[in-house]
Amino acid sequence: MTRTYEVFLKKAGKDEFRHAGALDASDPEMAVTLAREAYVRRGEGDDLWVVDRSHVLVADPDFVRANEDRPHRHNDGSAIAERRRRVRDAEETNP
Amino acid sequence: MTRIDLGPAAAEHVLALADDEHLIGAHHSTWIGVCPFLEEDLAFCSIAQDELGHAIGLYELLTDDVDRFALLRAPEEYRSCAYVERLMPGWADAFVRHWLYERAEQLRWDALTTSTVPELAALALAADREEAFHRRHAEQLMERLTTPGTQAAAIIASAVNDHVASAASLFTPVTDEATLVADGVVARSAEALLDDWWAGLGTWAVAHGVDLPPRPTAPGPAARRSRTDDFTTVHGDLTAVISLDPTAVW
Repeated sequence: MTRTYEVFLKKAGKDEFRHAGALDASDPEMAVTLAREAYVRRGEGDDLWVVDRSHVLVADPDFVRANEDRPHRHNDGSAIAERRRRVRDAEETNP
Repeated sequence: MTRIDLGPAAAEHVLALADDEHLIGAHHSTWIGVCPFLEEDLAFCSIAQDELGHAIGLYELLTDDVDRFALLRAPEEYRSCAYVERLMPGWADAFVRHWLYERAEQLRWDALTTSTVPELAALALAADREEAFHRRHAEQLMERLTTPGTQAAAIIASAVNDHVASAASLFTPVTDEATLVADGVVARSAEALLDDWWAGLGTWAVAHGVDLPPRPTAPGPAARRSRTDDFTTVHGDLTAVISLDPTAVW
């Protein structure tokens, strides 16, 4: 019986682990061996994680989607910049 | 690597290993796209590329024109052994050959890591880094395919039995091997390597409840100078494209 494994790769340095794909293997040991050639044969990563898909905790999409419409939680820096400008202007007006 | 003056006996030894690597890599590569499952397809074909790379590294010690040398020699100028010439259209046979070959190859490369020819020693050490993956792949998959009581285990045990006599030809020595051992070009004779290979198989057979035939013997050096019938087919496939225009530059 094969199981499905999710494969993650990381380049040396500060980059994070990123999902590379998935594969089928008979067991964890074979999964690591086969992942090396399936996903790192061109040197795509320096570190390799292989995770049994059944060990991944999957959130209910309805639970996740409740946070879809939250524009006020997106920060492009403009609000902070505006606040700094107001403080600076106030200091220049009343030194 | 660049061409070096090896002397005739060492050149024969390098050529024998190179031709074995070339043909095993070529056989493995025929599984591209048709391995039993995708993950194995990728692994097996990576191994094929590595073996061809090792052949190129060895050929480069012998010639300045690897493509022509690798493909366009007359059959009698090849030094491959019978086992790597054999056509094996079935996956069980192809995989068992991979497993037996890797075990033999490890011993053959190891015997070169301390070679008095520095270029050969460097190549052996570089090859061994890749071979470590090949062995891990072969041994792990072999372990899964020999679970006692399974149909796969019976097929594999039968294939191993069918193969061992022919596989012993991997240890066919070249002429003047004794000189090479005395000079330290190669650390040990092919016969000594065959002993180790067979002992390893014996340990595996006991652990897996497989009965092996009596210890096979390797052919004498003359066998390196003659080709089997299957070679004609393999060589024909390998040269199908270059034969269209042997002067073409790629």
